[in-house]
Amino acid sequence: MKRAVLLLAGIILAWSYLYAAELEYFQVYKPKEGMSADEIMQIKYFNKYALFAHDVSYTGKAYFIDKSGATRERSTARKRINLGRKSDGIAYKDLTIFTGPTQVKGLCSLVWTYLNVKKEQEVWLWLPSLKKIRKVSQSASDDSFLGGDFSVEDITTRRFDDETYKLLKEENFAGYTSDFMKKTYYKDTPCFVIEATPKRANWYYAKRLVWIDKNYGVNIYEEKYDTNGKKFMTLLRGHEIYKVDGKEYPLQMFLEGRDLRSGHTTVIINETANLDQGVAEDEFTETALSRSRW
Amino acid sequence: MLKRFLLILMILVFSGSLAFAELSKGDLTIAGYLKDEFSLGLKTFNEVTKFKNILQLSGEYKFSDQSVFFASAKYWYDAIYGLNSKYDAARHYMDHIQRTDWLRDCYLDYTNGSWFLRLGKQQVAWGQADGIAILDRVNPVDLTEYWLPDAVDLRIPLWMANINYSPKLNSNLQLLIIPDFEQSTAAPPGAPFAFRSYKKFMDFKERWESSGWYTGYPPPSLRGDVNVNIYYPAKQFENSKIGVQWQDRISDWDYTLNYLYGYDYLARTYSERPDAIPPLDANYGRRFKLDQMAGGSLNHTFTEEGLLKGITLRSDAAVYLNEPTYYGDPATGASVGVKRWNNIFWLIGIDRNVTTTWLASFQFAQYIMEHKSPGVGNYQTLNSYTYGAQDAVENIFSLKISTKFMHERLKPEVLWSWTDDNQGRISPKATYEINDNLWFTLGAHYFYGKEVDSNGQFRDVSQFYTQIKYTF
Repeated sequence: MKRAVLLLAGIILAWSYLYAAELEYFQVYKPKEGMSADEIMQIKYFNKYALFAHDVSYTGKAYFIDKSGATRERSTARKRINLGRKSDGIAYKDLTIFTGPTQVKGLCSLVWTYLNVKKEQEVWLWLPSLKKIRKVSQSASDDSFLGGDFSVEDITTRRFDDETYKLLKEENFAGYTSDFMKKTYYKDTPCFVIEATPKRANWYYAKRLVWIDKNYGVNIYEEKYDTNGKKFMTLLRGHEIYKVDGKEYPLQMFLEGRDLRSGHTTVIINETANLDQGVAEDEFTETALSRSRW
Repeated sequence: MLKRFLLILMILVFSGSLAFAELSKGDLTIAGYLKDEFSLGLKTFNEVTKFKNILQLSGEYKFSDQSVFFASAKYWYDAIYGLNSKYDAARHYMDHIQRTDWLRDCYLDYTNGSWFLRLGKQQVAWGQADGIAILDRVNPVDLTEYWLPDAVDLRIPLWMANINYSPKLNSNLQLLIIPDFEQSTAAPPGAPFAFRSYKKFMDFKERWESSGWYTGYPPPSLRGDVNVNIYYPAKQFENSKIGVQWQDRISDWDYTLNYLYGYDYLARTYSERPDAIPPLDANYGRRFKLDQMAGGSLNHTFTEEGLLKGITLRSDAAVYLNEPTYYGDPATGASVGVKRWNNIFWLIGIDRNVTTTWLASFQFAQYIMEHKSPGVGNYQTLNSYTYGAQDAVENIFSLKISTKFMHERLKPEVLWSWTDDNQGRISPKATYEINDNLWFTLGAHYFYGKEVDSNGQFRDVSQFYTQIKYTF
């Protein structure tokens, strides 16, 4: 009996260690019953950045819709290569090219993200008006992403270590209806509901409530609250499951953010996605960026 | 010869691509814009100085993953030169696009493993500096509107072979062979941004060819014409400009090493032997000289925890070997000779997000002459734009603050560039996105300083401007 308890303790310890440590790249992780909020959120971040795949390429569009319904549009082509490389500390590299409208066509960004979460990203921009590369500092995490309703950290920079987590409950999600897509998402999907509190003082939100799909460990919906406890932002992340070599990859394909204060909405739709295409790392270099034509 | 060779090579690669690519899978992209640029004198508020309409069309055809053809053409017409007789003297040059300048890009990209070729008419930008050409001297520049347009419109594209080899990740060796030659251009007298030096020369020409009596000039009856002989480099392979850039990364620092050899795009005007028998022509020559540039650039973002975190550092440095350097008497505004000096130009730039949405970008540059004085009589070195006195060490500063509002629909910015001679330019502007395809810009350029300063020479042509751009 004593031996069994010790064995069990050892297994729990090993399991805890696995999730306390960084999850291994190119694996598929799913939440399990009894996991802590931290363990669930680690899987959530792993999936958010698609670290299960070696590379991902998307084409898509972003729509910015003001209260009156007036809509602006941006189209992009994006690529990511996941490296998780300890030798130079690089986690992954992203390339985003604006393909429309013409005024921003050709604008291109190359971003390198490091394993060390305290290290900022390195960012290079190709500026068509200069036909030249400019290295720039990482955007502030609370800045808006592409001028929309998502913050930069909502999309690119928020990491597991930026918040503390509390598992509030488990429930079936009530569903989210997108006015833009005229569709209801995730109705009755079993979820963990986690409260995420930023570690930074005086941050632009006081807490987030995050709904995590129990089956795939992805964040399907979240709400942001201010210091008065008032909800000011909702964010839906629609996923599709891609089967690659027998593995199930949950990919974010549709995002809708609503600013409840201004009535402004941002929608990002990934129209196409390709995984594990053998994208070469030399496509993610300053040299490659300087070969832009537009 | 080499230019012809390049053209033939491009056609061969182009036709080869056509033969092997499956055209049905080809990918054609076309985009363009119509733009109106309007400016109004800041001093009088009633003098329109520009009413320019521009059409640009660009197209890309992807034959395969390896080869892509890209071309862009631009046409513009500035109506103000037909509307206001004040600008008649400059009209022939300034009211429409000149010669083959309409073809902005025409090249074929070919990628194969570590090799990348770009063959055709193109522009190549070197260096990290913003608005100050330290290493960015591969292409000549069109200064008909001073340094105000975007860099992409300032550079004059040239036919060249741009050959690249990447021996390892993040590194690149670039070789440029440029058989094409164009001189850098300036606005002619009569145009708002004509350089003072150019205007002074034309004043002299007018006096010389007139029937007036002037101190130091022969009597009018003996004077003939003012002739300017321009000696372009002969179109030979040996006269090609050669550029080499090595790009690499050490730790988190990106750097380049650059070298450029060939004919300078600026030719200094010098006095040739005068006629001995009346009518006495005043003969001048403009000869493009061979010179070299060696330098490098550096950039780095401080990403680690610490005081400097979030700061991006940029730097360029170059030495111009045998750079033609004017000297003369600034009081008379005339150059009497040219020295060939090894001058140095370097810059450091710092960029930082000051708050979430405010970005500050500061640059400090120094142009250092090899000698303080030309050592000829009491003559001083001259600023080639104005024929004013040139400091042995010129300190140049710029500060740009930019931000964004209304979900990035409204983007205001202000650029202040100045030197230690209390002269400079302040250029605020705001761009507003009316919809996806329609953009409006409102701005101003305010010049200050003495008439003999680079910016001060335009203190009377400070302006408000608007731009409306429709893209498709």
